Amino acid sequence: MQMEAKQAGLTCLCAGWTRKDRAPGAPWAATLPVLLAALVLVLLASGAVLAVYYDPRHAFWSVQGIMRGVQGGWLMLGYHRVGAGLVFALLGLHLFRTLLVRGYRGAGAMSWMLWVTLLAVLLLTGWLGFVLQGGAGGHWALLNATRAAVMMSGFPGTVAMWFFGGPAGGDTLARLLVLHAVLALGAAGLICMASRAAKRAKPVPNGQVVAFWPVYASQYFAALAGLALVFSLLLGFAPHWGQGMQSVFAPTPLLVAVPVSYPWYLWPLARLAGLLPGVGGQVLAVMVLFVLLYALPWLDRSNGAPPRRLYKVLIWLLGLDILVLGVAGPMLAALCSAWVFFHFLVLTPLVTAMEAA
Amino acid sequence: MMRRFFAPLLAVGVLASGAARAEDTLSPLHFQSQGWSGTIDKAAAQRGFAVYEGVCASCHSLHGLHYRDLEGLGLTPAQVAGIAANVRLANGQPATLNSRFKTPGAISMGGATPPDLSNIVAQRPGGTRYVYDFLTGFGPPPAGVSLLPGHFYNAVFPGGQVSMPAVLRDNAVTYADGAKASTAQEAADVAEFLTWASDPNLSARHAVGLRAVLFFAFLTIVALLVKRRIWREEG
Ligand code: HEC
Repeated sequence: MQMEAKQAGLTCLCAGWTRKDRAPGAPWAATLPVLLAALVLVLLASGAVLAVYYDPRHAFWSVQGIMRGVQGGWLMLGYHRVGAGLVFALLGLHLFRTLLVRGYRGAGAMSWMLWVTLLAVLLLTGWLGFVLQGGAGGHWALLNATRAAVMMSGFPGTVAMWFFGGPAGGDTLARLLVLHAVLALGAAGLICMASRAAKRAKPVPNGQVVAFWPVYASQYFAALAGLALVFSLLLGFAPHWGQGMQSVFAPTPLLVAVPVSYPWYLWPLARLAGLLPGVGGQVLAVMVLFVLLYALPWLDRSNGAPPRRLYKVLIWLLGLDILVLGVAGPMLAALCSAWVFFHFLVLTPLVTAMEAA
Repeated sequence: MMRRFFAPLLAVGVLASGAARAEDTLSPLHFQSQGWSGTIDKAAAQRGFAVYEGVCASCHSLHGLHYRDLEGLGLTPAQVAGIAANVRLANGQPATLNSRFKTPGAISMGGATPPDLSNIVAQRPGGTRYVYDFLTGFGPPPAGVSLLPGHFYNAVFPGGQVSMPAVLRDNAVTYADGAKASTAQEAADVAEFLTWASDPNLSARHAVGLRAVLFFAFLTIVALLVKRRIWREEG
């Protein structure tokens, strides 16, 4: 009796999985959420192994020890590093595409906001990972952040003090390690939630469904294979691409105050934060950016129809602007950062209102 | 590739001539570790370790390395144990396989301290070649350049003045494999050794990477074909 019930449950589950019907002819870009989920799984698995050997009190040399002394440790480091980079690349692509097809409007607003939250969570996780490596750059970044944090007064100051334990206190990295892992788990959860929300927002039109198996399974499989190919290329032949040299220097108290060189996925944000002076300004710039991203479904005054030419051009321009922002010098970076705000605050309402009219 | 192909022939040649001659890496200068499929030249790196141990170790630490790591250069555990046993650590005890490389006492020369060399190749752009150029870049200062006290002229060091003296000279060490220890050879060998020290998994990474890339390239093509076919039939 019980057996039967169990079996029925199982078939139900499998059927639910394989019979997940979708609209036919989904583009390759629709596989991005699944690819993101796969990468986050790789990051969680390799991160779990790294955490076993990691020593927050001798961060730099323990990472060196993983690279040199742990069986396969260099591979785990490679998985983690390359995986982290690709997560940002793919999430960037996904957000870009959502902008381009106006997927954030109406029913898509919920999943859009979840994806934006994922971006915020991953950026913080990535920053923490950079700090946890214990290289000179991460050390300086942490020192700057904690110094600023403990200067804050009132409740934020209390939280910062409680969290960091003073300016880069001895146990700070141990706490950040826990936060890093919790945020990574949160990111996995967010991907699930955002995908569900996206599916709910776009019900399959009646009568033209396609079975998951084998139609979509074959597409996902090909996309995953392609991702694995890119992953192996990076892992084997460019594992340190875009990491910045500061992460291979042990932190020394003698050398400080050169600008921190972040890994590439933090380049645009770091420059955008620099638009406003002071630490408070940096935090403000980032916060305003995310508020604008969250508010995008309402900043867009269109009626939700697919975007027209002008709006698409602007989105392409925005994508280009962010790429340039990542590598720009100070003057150009200020211009590119200003453009991001200008795009969301002024151009988006204006152009979309024109479309609606 | 060619080298691997001709290696057996070369070996026969060496046997016939009766003398083990080290491969010439100097004319033209090249490092087997360089390039997308590079691998560590273990023979050169072993000689480079002799240079490090004989010349550099009195000033520069190699904190990231343990003596056991030298097995990665093709030395046997017994050979490595012998090397370690000859090292007296700061506490007076001989080193063991599991000891970190001995750290020299604190040194300050001309206001600079000798940097740890564990990651030096990763810390300089074009690191392998830079180390070679740096070690062979010493010389008399060009006319018009006056050196700060305790500094030496070096053509590739930023600013041209470095507080490390020229330490390499012909026959600064004696190579176990009979290679001629010219200054350039010593510099090239220690550069290859330090390349390995900075990235001990370089050879394995390239081998694993190549296999993975070939496998997934094949898999991607097959998967794309399958997908196309299924979509044509079902969609
Ligand atoms: C007498 C002590 C001494 C010896 C022996 C010595 N060095 Fe140095 N080395 C120094 C000092 C001091 C510096 C720092 C120079 C500076 O910053 O001006 C230095 C710096 C370096 C640098 C960094 C250069 C740069 O770009 O910053 C390298 C590479 C280096 N040494 C390699 C070697 C190698 C390889 C050997 C052995 C062949 C060696 N050194 C032997 C004292 C020494």
